[in-house]
Amino acid sequence: MTEKQEVQAYLAALRAALGPVALGEREEIAREIEAHIEDSLQEPGAELAAVLERLGAAEALAAQYREGLPIRRASRSRSPVTLLRGALRLATKGVFGMLVFFAGAFGYLMGGGMVLAGVLKPIFPHNAGIWVTKTQVVSAGVLTPAPPPPAHEVAGLWFTPIMLVLGALLLLATTAVIRAALGASQRLQAYLRH
Amino acid sequence: MARLRTLPPDGEQGDRWEAQLRKGALEMAALASLWKSRLYGLEIIRFLENHSRLVLSEGTIYPILNRLKAEGMLTSEWVEAEAGHPRKYYALTESGRARLCAMAEAWTVFADGLSRLLQPVLAMEETR
Repeated sequence: MTEKQEVQAYLAALRAALGPVALGEREEIAREIEAHIEDSLQEPGAELAAVLERLGAAEALAAQYREGLPIRRASRSRSPVTLLRGALRLATKGVFGMLVFFAGAFGYLMGGGMVLAGVLKPIFPHNAGIWVTKTQVVSAGVLTPAPPPPAHEVAGLWFTPIMLVLGALLLLATTAVIRAALGASQRLQAYLRH
Repeated sequence: MARLRTLPPDGEQGDRWEAQLRKGALEMAALASLWKSRLYGLEIIRFLENHSRLVLSEGTIYPILNRLKAEGMLTSEWVEAEAGHPRKYYALTESGRARLCAMAEAWTVFADGLSRLLQPVLAMEETR
């Protein structure tokens, strides 16, 4: 291998190991490291092997770039999947993260369930609703069979809009809470580092 | 797993602590190197080597710069150079400057306190 090929091989390994980093950022990192290698080789007595050794293995270098990336990226996302994955990553770091993850999962499940129940009401009018007796709420949601009397359904056709609105609010609130928690954990980590 | 953990008892923990400390200190050092003027990566590395005895594996500094930029402490700019390739210059942002000032103050207080605390330990080691 010529020196040039060796540098290209190193950069290729770096790009590959940077996998989850966004393409634009990945290319910028590779360009910066390439410039570093070229500049280092200009210094008197420099040897490529030594320059690469001081940089460390491409995989180890990439791992340092990737550190904290899922949480950082997730805190800017609005996708439940990305947010929950970020929360899961946070959950491996401590009790706060675990609480965030379980609260997030619960919020999304409840919110999604409510929206689903609202949508199912027009299809199964007798099985979706809110059932009460004289004194208490017996059940709410989509049930087969529907609760027997004396429980009776009270929401009627209002069930759909109520569930859609409440479900959507819960989904939005969950998203906001996870984003805030991930962002706060970033700031907290930055603070703890200093 | 359990066996691995029992093998290096204090050593590993101590090493990890030092690695954490070094990483935190390096972030501060990287910010400090940009106090007077913008620099590119290799210049920052050489600056730190010349102005402090911080030995750093060069691979460490670039991910740190990347993260400081993501946190809004630094900006970067590609500048054409006579070397034939552009170089990525870093400069402090306003919040980078503010954080560095706060860090410098906190660090000085912290380091003074610790040095005083460690003085008897070091003195004892000398007499041994």
